[in-house]
Amino acid sequence: MSSLEIPSAFAMEDVGRTVLDNGLVVLTKEVHTSPIVTSMIWYRVGSRNEELGQTGKSHFLEHMLFKGTERFKKGEIDLITLKNGGGNNAFTSHDFTAYYFNFASDRWDVALEIESDRMVNCAFDPEEFEAEKKVVIEELKTGLDSPWGLLLQEQEASAFKVHPYRNPIVGWLQDVERATVEEQQAYYRRYYHPNNATLVLAGDFETNQILTKVARAFGLIPAGTPPPSMLLKEPPQRGERRLIVRWRSKVPRLAIAYHAPQIAHVDSYALQVLGVVLSEGKASRLYQRLVEREQSVTFVSAEYGEAKDPTLFHIRAEARGDHSVEEIETSIYHELGRIARGEVNQHELDRAKHQMEAHFILSRERTLDQAILLGQIETLYGIDYIDSYLQRINAVTTADVAAACSRYLNEDSRTVALLLSDGSEQVEENESEAD
Amino acid sequence: MKPTELGLRRAFDVHSHVLGNGLKVLLVENPSIPTVSMNASVLAGARYDPESKAGQAIMASRLLDEGTETRSSFEIADAIESVGGAIEADGSFERLVVSAGVLNKDIGLGLELLSDLLIRPVFPQEYVDKEKERTLAEIVSAQDRPQVVAGWAFNELVYQDHPLHRPAHGYPETVERLERNDLFEFHKKYFLPNNVILSVVGDFRVSELLPKIEDALGSWRARPIVFPTYPEPVRQSGKRTKFIQMPAQQLNIYLGHLGVKRTNPDYYALQVLDTILGGGAGFTARIPQRLRDELGLAYTTFASITMTAGLDPGRFVAFIGTSPENMKLATEGLVNEIRRITEEPVTAQELQDAKDYLTGSFVFAFEASPQIARFLIHAEVYGLGFDYVEKYLEYIRRVTIEDISRVAKMYLDSENYTLVVVGPLDGAQ
Repeated sequence: MSSLEIPSAFAMEDVGRTVLDNGLVVLTKEVHTSPIVTSMIWYRVGSRNEELGQTGKSHFLEHMLFKGTERFKKGEIDLITLKNGGGNNAFTSHDFTAYYFNFASDRWDVALEIESDRMVNCAFDPEEFEAEKKVVIEELKTGLDSPWGLLLQEQEASAFKVHPYRNPIVGWLQDVERATVEEQQAYYRRYYHPNNATLVLAGDFETNQILTKVARAFGLIPAGTPPPSMLLKEPPQRGERRLIVRWRSKVPRLAIAYHAPQIAHVDSYALQVLGVVLSEGKASRLYQRLVEREQSVTFVSAEYGEAKDPTLFHIRAEARGDHSVEEIETSIYHELGRIARGEVNQHELDRAKHQMEAHFILSRERTLDQAILLGQIETLYGIDYIDSYLQRINAVTTADVAAACSRYLNEDSRTVALLLSDGSEQVEENESEAD
Repeated sequence: MKPTELGLRRAFDVHSHVLGNGLKVLLVENPSIPTVSMNASVLAGARYDPESKAGQAIMASRLLDEGTETRSSFEIADAIESVGGAIEADGSFERLVVSAGVLNKDIGLGLELLSDLLIRPVFPQEYVDKEKERTLAEIVSAQDRPQVVAGWAFNELVYQDHPLHRPAHGYPETVERLERNDLFEFHKKYFLPNNVILSVVGDFRVSELLPKIEDALGSWRARPIVFPTYPEPVRQSGKRTKFIQMPAQQLNIYLGHLGVKRTNPDYYALQVLDTILGGGAGFTARIPQRLRDELGLAYTTFASITMTAGLDPGRFVAFIGTSPENMKLATEGLVNEIRRITEEPVTAQELQDAKDYLTGSFVFAFEASPQIARFLIHAEVYGLGFDYVEKYLEYIRRVTIEDISRVAKMYLDSENYTLVVVGPLDGAQ
């Protein structure tokens, strides 16, 4: 195949990495195509750090960071964003919590002021905490009204018995309901430190000038006690686990998850390629078989989930018409068996690699996307990963894909979750009109 | 310096051409990354489907990449995916769109496939059957989501006999009846160069690309087109309500009525109104501030009249997803905010903040090539002009407090609205 070349615009030599005395990692990437600056801060805390009975804390904390500090009162963070024509949001995962601001490049510094302030001065007003608890509970319920949201939550709880990846990021309802402001505050003090964070700046600026601003905003915040390490390890799975979730839907859904190694593990690259070979695009293996030939599903996806700790490789499909989940499952296992026996051809492999290369370029056009890539990789592993990423992908052989499939996607390490009808009939309608 | 003036510093040049057959070509050079985005829009969509053939347009669009005179479905997919590109065909009420994204070295292949899909699809019988089954299955699957069910019911009540009353993909009974010939008919009637706009944005030189476009699409023959006509939808004069029981955690509430066209001269005043009432940054607008931030009723709540404005009038929608015990509080909360903005003038501060937000965030709509490619199509379809990037700021800056009061009274109604509630009504209060 033709070799994969990283376009110069994306080479990592353009990324600056500075560590302040207090331990804050600062990543900078100049992008001068639009007058925009994205600033993000990433904390190395997510649902993996939560103790039993305290789930959902990382996510709840993310909500509280918009509720104000001594300096930026309640509502002011959003108001500043509005007045400056910007955008802001935040997200929490198993492994991290991240916040971003997008501003025009002549007024983005205010993001530094806000982030440095709320790293240490979050207000935790008890009334605000109780009001926001209701919002978080509504968010949790929205997730439970999604068939996939519900099924994957149950699947993770079964695939992991010990490791906290078993808990939903938003938390279990009863934990969120009984959460207290004191516990929340203690959690904040434990994890929100410069030495547990990465600041990422991507956009239209001169690196030298902004590093001075960063030092001014964050330099005086003292380093914190390093947070406790998360020591829980998932014991090996010794046989297939199956579970059924009963729900109101008439459409059966199937989710198969296999234990897989963490990001940057030597086998993780072959597993990423495998995911693309299986389900990326209409020419892919499972699309051709299940959607095209057997017409048993409306969609199918296969994906290696990048994570800090050993993770899952997911396959998902939605049944169609009278096709049973057993039939779909059998076809998927048959296809995986073929790949494990080495029936992957060079053309398929090359196509997958080109898709990954193009995706790497096409999906990084906005500064926010670039900041997310850098922040996530630095938080999960270290940005060196990006430097070698395409070379590593390029080095994957058909034999590597077969070996990874055989080693990880096997019967004894899978958790099969089925969403099946609970027999209920929905829909009673009541209509009225008064003109 | 205002952020938007920063934006203008790098405003893009649009190269506009019309081929001999009437096909409009809009090109923007954007060498920031080595990729190219193409967007070919056929100016006909589900709004032209006869009621008995609802779903025809969308079905036609979804089958464009399932076989042409010279390529099988697999050959199309394999060709584009092997170079890491993507080509997609999809549709809406207004347009059917074939879009492609490729690395700049593959621009020739992208154009070739794009023209093949537009000009020479064969709608193989085998794929027509498959796509029908798949669409039917997707309709069943979508009914699992209360928000979707609520949205469909809301449109039925708001639009009545107007084509937008139905889901763009049709109803199960109309999809079942669609035949291969219907798709050919649709293609023959509307897929004509004089009914297509092609926008291309990315890393290329206009002088080199134009001859390639001429090669790929220049020999396509034009023909006159007769578009169907239908009466304008009428805004309701009383309340319409619908309650649908569904076992779920939350109620999904849609409250609103008929909205405006994109070409309405009050569109910009309404954008400012949207920002104050139900949009903007974070939870600054009145509805999310009151119902989410203060009362804790919801994770998702918003309102907008401009979001769905198109060639046909869109909808004014206020939405909230909330626990059943909050139904009364949430519904009243939405109505109160709608009433307040129609009865009381907004403050000078609210107006200024909303205008600063809209003019300041405008630059984010033009960051990536696919966004610019879509904008070019909108600019052409809605007659915005390519100097829109400059004019927009003026449109927004001109809006006054009196304008907001006037358009609120004219286009929003806190009495005569449609209310649809879907979810666990048994626990509703």
